[in-house]
Amino acid sequence: MSATWLRVGGGLAVFALIALAGLAALGGLEFDEALDTFTLVMVVAIPAGIATYALIEYAQTRRIDSITGQFDTRTLVLMPVAIALNIVLGTAVASALKIPIYFDSIGTILVAALAGPLAGAVTGFLANVIWTYLAPPPFGSPFAVPFAVVAVVVGLMAGTFARWGWLRPRPDSSGRRLLVGGAISIGAVVVMVVIALRAWLAAADGSSLAPKSDDTAFFILGWLVVLLVVGTAVGLVVLLVRRRDLAAAYILAAGVLTGIVAAFIAAPIAAGLFGGVTGSGADFVIAAFRRAGADLEQAVLGQSLISDPVDKVITYFVVYLILGAMATRTKARFPQGRYLLPLNESEDVRDRAAPER
Amino acid sequence: MSATAPLPSARAQGASPWHELDPLTRLVVALGTVAAALVLGGIVCLSLLAALTVLVPAAVARELREVLRLSLLLALPLGVSVVVVNVLFSPGTPAEGALLATGVVLRILTMAGAAVLFYRTTRPAELLASLQYHGVPSRATFVIHNGAAMIPRLAERAREVTEAQRARGLDTEGNLLRRGRGLVALAAPTVLGAMAEVETRTLALETRGFTRPGRPTLLWTPHDGPVQRLARWGVLLVLIVLVLEHLAGVLPC
Repeated sequence: MSATWLRVGGGLAVFALIALAGLAALGGLEFDEALDTFTLVMVVAIPAGIATYALIEYAQTRRIDSITGQFDTRTLVLMPVAIALNIVLGTAVASALKIPIYFDSIGTILVAALAGPLAGAVTGFLANVIWTYLAPPPFGSPFAVPFAVVAVVVGLMAGTFARWGWLRPRPDSSGRRLLVGGAISIGAVVVMVVIALRAWLAAADGSSLAPKSDDTAFFILGWLVVLLVVGTAVGLVVLLVRRRDLAAAYILAAGVLTGIVAAFIAAPIAAGLFGGVTGSGADFVIAAFRRAGADLEQAVLGQSLISDPVDKVITYFVVYLILGAMATRTKARFPQGRYLLPLNESEDVRDRAAPER
Repeated sequence: MSATAPLPSARAQGASPWHELDPLTRLVVALGTVAAALVLGGIVCLSLLAALTVLVPAAVARELREVLRLSLLLALPLGVSVVVVNVLFSPGTPAEGALLATGVVLRILTMAGAAVLFYRTTRPAELLASLQYHGVPSRATFVIHNGAAMIPRLAERAREVTEAQRARGLDTEGNLLRRGRGLVALAAPTVLGAMAEVETRTLALETRGFTRPGRPTLLWTPHDGPVQRLARWGVLLVLIVLVLEHLAGVLPC
């Protein structure tokens, strides 16, 4: 296990080093200064981190089994399906439903959960590239490629959470655990709401939250989004209480964490490249922030901090439902599938599985 | 896996010098254009970029009309949003917002143009063969090709599901709560159906030597040459120069 930690630690250290040094050298660490160079630095720092991981593993074992092991035939067959899912569902939600979420990372998180962080990252990356260059007409979007770096991070995070067993079903947990889980979920929701409100207040420049007469419609839309946040949370808590499934708490935590990180990576890209516009329902939220007097960067970050955690919590939840609908033997055959099984079942599988890589 | 016709020779299909280029070269130009559009700013620079890497090649390929039409269509919804958000809802003056919006719309158009030109002049199978010729592992090309080929099939499945659910009274209009609920009813059957196929396809591939090591024999080779190879590295070099220039801020781009 310590060998694994050395690789992960090395990769993270190189990533952080390059990211911080790059931002400091090119712009500055303040949010507004870093906007311009952020994407560029990420494009260099993330592959460098992954390469470091691979190099350390090669130095340790003369092979890179933990990486190649994530790409077995089954995963390679799943990846195209996942890519198509991302693109089709993302396009459908953006063009048909007009709600301020994206819903374009189900495939990424699904592959990451079943096969591993790198497989998820590759799926997310390829999905965005194919979305721009190879997707047939009604589905093509020239604007997906710059967000590939966000998809990579989402894949890496989702794979890691699944590897930690966060997507395991934990039905009929004991009362004490449920209490702790409930506390954690409520804490996560509070963090989410506080961040959303702070972003909102920052965007409104501390003036006031009271709707003005001429922009009531946008404020109502904004509040509906907040309502959706609360609604999702309540739904998960109901799952927690009724099914006594502790996994709800883990899903919420994973979704919020992934969403916040994704927001901080996606917002500079959207603000810097497209004037903050993504052509989806999220544009209304941005317009509301702008109307409230926020500058472009604040408006986009505010929108991302609201949309992304909600989007990711919903996505993780849907992936959890998909995984629940899959047969145990099907899941267990994927490289990382044993971490998705309930604990008592996975014990059996682990006895028969290949030794730890 | 998809039922594509055997690859035609590029020369027979290629009506123009642009079509005769190695698909990899065209991909590098398209990727380079998008990257450059992201790095560059300013109306003059973006117009120059669009003329040089999208309009001229499109004219050479005799696809100018189609490329213009499709990229306008693709960029239209996003463009309208950009203008609305930046001009009507900007806290600054409308003129400032309009200038910002023009730049962004131009960038969107350039990116759309590059993607459309590539898409219109390259068949996925052609690109994949070229990628394999240049040493990309067949497992990677399998994922890319099938990712693209799976989209219409999945969309077809999604359409069937949508119609079935509408027939049962699913409401895709209405307030946010209802739309949210509609999402699950549409996504779940679509996704589970697609997942069920994975098992079968895995077995089919494994019985057909998909996991066999070594490189498969290619029956088609792209028209590559030293000039094109040089041009591809040239695109990369120009991009690096552009990024450095952008960071140094010498030109007003």
